[in-house]
Amino acid sequence: MNRLLKCLLWSGVMAWAIAGGGCRRAGPVLRLYNWADYIKPELVQRFEREQGCRVMLDTFDSNEALYAKLKAGATGYDLIFPSSYMVAVMRHQGMLQPIRRELIPNLSHLDPAYARYTADERCEYSVPYMMSNSGLAYRRNRVPDFKPTWAMFDRQDLAGRMTMLNDMRETIGAALKFLGYSLNTTNEAELASARDVVIRWKKNLAKFDNEQYKNGIASGEFLVTHGYNGDVLQVMTENEDVAYALPREGVSIACDEMAIPMGAREVELAHAFINFLHDPAIAAENAEFTCFLCPNLASYELLSEEIRHNPAVFLPEDILARSEVIRDLGADNAKYIRVWDQIKAAE
Amino acid sequence: MKTAPSSVREPPARRPDRWRSHEWIVTLPSLGWLLALFIAPTLIVFSIAFKPADLFGGVGPGWTLDTLRSLGNPNYPAIVWRTLWLSLATTAVCLLVGIPCGYYLARAPIRWRNTLVMLTVVPFWTSFLVRIFAWKHLLHPEGPVRRVLTALGLCDSAATLLYNPGAVLLVMIYTYLPFAILPIYAAAEKFDYQLIEAATDLGATRWRAFRSVFLPGIRVAIFTAVLVVFIPCLGSFVIPDVVGGPSAEMIGNKIAQRAFSDRNLPHAAALSALLTLAVLAPLIVAWGARNRSGRRAVPVQEAS
Repeated sequence: MNRLLKCLLWSGVMAWAIAGGGCRRAGPVLRLYNWADYIKPELVQRFEREQGCRVMLDTFDSNEALYAKLKAGATGYDLIFPSSYMVAVMRHQGMLQPIRRELIPNLSHLDPAYARYTADERCEYSVPYMMSNSGLAYRRNRVPDFKPTWAMFDRQDLAGRMTMLNDMRETIGAALKFLGYSLNTTNEAELASARDVVIRWKKNLAKFDNEQYKNGIASGEFLVTHGYNGDVLQVMTENEDVAYALPREGVSIACDEMAIPMGAREVELAHAFINFLHDPAIAAENAEFTCFLCPNLASYELLSEEIRHNPAVFLPEDILARSEVIRDLGADNAKYIRVWDQIKAAE
Repeated sequence: MKTAPSSVREPPARRPDRWRSHEWIVTLPSLGWLLALFIAPTLIVFSIAFKPADLFGGVGPGWTLDTLRSLGNPNYPAIVWRTLWLSLATTAVCLLVGIPCGYYLARAPIRWRNTLVMLTVVPFWTSFLVRIFAWKHLLHPEGPVRRVLTALGLCDSAATLLYNPGAVLLVMIYTYLPFAILPIYAAAEKFDYQLIEAATDLGATRWRAFRSVFLPGIRVAIFTAVLVVFIPCLGSFVIPDVVGGPSAEMIGNKIAQRAFSDRNLPHAAALSALLTLAVLAPLIVAWGARNRSGRRAVPVQEAS
């Protein structure tokens, strides 16, 4: 009997330690699911202090990974950061909660010029976070005769030192732009010619890659890479030889948005965080850190010259006119999958 | 060795017909574990392969054979072949290197032996992923290996060491070699080397004694080494992803693509099922071979 009592006592102690003893700071916990290096850590800490809460950050590396995880039933995230096409899919699937605009007074600062690039112009289910585009990163002193065009991937003197994104829509999209087609095309003939272009480029590529190209271009392993503007600009602050260029044929533009998934526990805190990030001063500070464009009109005048007048962040009109947002194609996605399979299998 | 060799080799006496109930009870937790966390999930994966896919990454209602038919995709044979040859080559090299390593480990003086075994295991203290990234730095176009090779005139300055099937093979061999050495060492340590002396006394050369006495003596360990290298190789995903180039995709990468970017779970499940069956086939062969070799009183007769 004595032993049983002891046992009970100890399990009680353990339960207390696990349940309460572990977290010393009281208050709610906001769980974010975001891309890596996509928010200034000091701002998160400021929000924690202001709201008396804790923020936990988990990261994903592709919209598909985010979607697959939530679709498989993952819960516990209060705020997620999918790109607009994925917002459309998730909204269609009933995976998002409606946004309560009255809790986000800073929505008034949103730049209407970028609304057409989002999935949800009226911010019913999502609020724009950052605008990105994908172009070319290159080493200034190592690439002779660089030209801002997707045709760089045809350069045989750079064979084995170039990468393209391991993302069928981005990479096939680059070839479609190169050929002068829409990167949302569903025309079989256009897709077939884009396929042949990527297969031709592939002979000069070291690999298809979404993450390691940043280290690769910084270390000189790669000389030309296909990548996202903010990621490359972040590398550029550390390595002066790296530069970013927008191919003249046009690029893909994406808007990453903030959305509250079904099953979120801290819904009001999530709204407060969206509002916090769209405070003009905060938005500017965050944009300076991430080197992406936060479509917050009032924040623009607070940006440094480097960002405000950077064509890689604020695209010039002529490039913008030739650029497009990747849209979810529903059943026609299968055409891209088929083409991507053929590209991957080609020798 | 005081005991006669033949009695050492003899399998322990088994009486399967007289299993008592408490033995069942003792086995129950591990059986339950296997059933709930291995067999049931495998069967679920198999069944998803017969379900239709929906456009949004879900599994549709009803049953279909469409996914199985789509395995006839003309792009697959190249990937299957690449997966197979990389796995077979890795296994072969791991055995070629692992057998002499295991042999010399077992024959090393006792004061060295523990250190050497330790050195074999030390890589496991570092995360698998970190070690693969270390290879990326070694093989970097401006890295140390490349500089040495260029200085020796062994490769020209335009050749790339990374992002080709050769790099995948190299890193796979590096990763799986300890898994081949350890079981071989364990068996070689228990091997009775007086048998080799006896063979040489009877006129066999050292090579002949090694081949006809030592190798059959550690046969079970060789099978184990083949299994623990070949099976994980077939399912490789991270290594071709990190050091492989645009043409180094293996089945594991295709499964990841189907599950994530293509949002097609049934197709991913069908490929996984194919992989499971491919893994089971050598396992069954090995199991049969092992049973046969277990029943024989091995080396003495074969060496004569």
